Amino acid sequence: MARELTLVDSGLGNLASVERALIQVGSATQITDDPDKVATSRIVVFPGQGTFGKQTDNIVSGAMGEAMRMVIQRGDPFLGICLGMQMLFEGSEEAGGHKGLGILKGQCRRFPESMTTAEGDRVRKLKIPHMGWNEVQPSGEHYYFVHSYYVDAAESSDVMWSTTYGDITFASAIRRDNIYGCQFHPEKSQQSGLRFLRAFLLGSRQ
Amino acid sequence: MLKRRIIPCLDVKNGRVVKGVHFKGLRDTGDPVEAARAYDRQGADEICLLDITATTEGRENFVDVVRHVAPQIFCPLTVGGGIRREDDVRRLLNAGADKVAVNSAAVTSPPLIKRLAKRYGSQAIVVAVDVKRMDALPRDEEPLYEVVIHGGTRSTGLEALRWCEQVTELGAGEILLTSMDKDGTRDGYDLWITREVARRVPVPVIASGGVGSLEHLRQGLALGEGEADAALAASIFHFGLFTIAQAKQYLLEHGLPVRPPATRHAA
Repeated sequence: MARELTLVDSGLGNLASVERALIQVGSATQITDDPDKVATSRIVVFPGQGTFGKQTDNIVSGAMGEAMRMVIQRGDPFLGICLGMQMLFEGSEEAGGHKGLGILKGQCRRFPESMTTAEGDRVRKLKIPHMGWNEVQPSGEHYYFVHSYYVDAAESSDVMWSTTYGDITFASAIRRDNIYGCQFHPEKSQQSGLRFLRAFLLGSRQ
Repeated sequence: MLKRRIIPCLDVKNGRVVKGVHFKGLRDTGDPVEAARAYDRQGADEICLLDITATTEGRENFVDVVRHVAPQIFCPLTVGGGIRREDDVRRLLNAGADKVAVNSAAVTSPPLIKRLAKRYGSQAIVVAVDVKRMDALPRDEEPLYEVVIHGGTRSTGLEALRWCEQVTELGAGEILLTSMDKDGTRDGYDLWITREVARRVPVPVIASGGVGSLEHLRQGLALGEGEADAALAASIFHFGLFTIAQAKQYLLEHGLPVRPPATRHAA
């Protein structure tokens, strides 16, 4: 019998599609905004859309942040998605600087303006956010991204997969022990995304 | 490298998929849930649902269509048509849409774009811009395009390029640009206006209106031609003329960066 997975509802966007994807790959899922339930969970997924700000400050300094730290420090599997992954790091330069949970070393930075890329013999201006399907290395598989900030991880050993946009190569998936994170949206990445979630679930059920 | 997107669009009326020719003479081609599922399985990069008659006739059940489609697909879902108020956007996002396209309401109330972007994030707010090329211009001038609303039935007096810049300044995260001259013709996108908008605005541009062949998709996306970030098409996919995979294959063979066709894996 699969252990029930907890989806953290911290007001950082709609959880319905993440829940749907987790159900699709066979996970029993509860959604909660109760830090006590999160703290006692054995598998936690923390999705987030949007950007660092007042809301993430409240999470980081509040009971939900504490609950998630407990899960991680106890060694239970934890997956942060998009902003949820970014929040595992020390902070963001977004809007004057905001703190993250500080579990992994590194900062979130904004993609520079006016990046270009060569395409054949022409040059194309790149837009922000980085939105759409891009590939991760080393597998070359495609996932769906939507973000203006990226994780600049301090420890390369935390970076499981990387992705390049313009001049920037960033951590598109991270892993350290029981801590997983993905910058892309697995719930929007069709079969590749579902495989990623399935691998997380299988890897977390030893 | 970030890939250009292929977006099949389902025009929806009374819960059924239709494809308008110049938004008139609709014919029924099926169930939106089934069609969206099929496109998702084929590897569409994103799916678009447009409630094509809501603006002029007004209807409620489109939210239900979105609520039924969203749980069935695992790619981004963009919806639009007939959005007047902030509340319409909230209901569509709650029903499972990832992005909402605002058209006429953006013209009649530009501050709406700003409010929506602030509340939901620019990435969720697409502004749909329908344009018509103005005729009877002096020979040597660059063409001029006007923004039209209400399914192309009403002029706005807005010049298209300036309007596109304005909506991005207000917070639009993406522009869905439809040439009303080309829509339904299967004659190809209007490449001039698509390229000009794509070069001018700092957000992605989705080309729309006029696709009749795979070559048209290529033109819409290629540098020096349409330069769009994404190509939207309806009828060439609906009527089984081409699959998404065939479109991807064609674009890859012609050097366009697109995500390769989906390979089958057990779900």
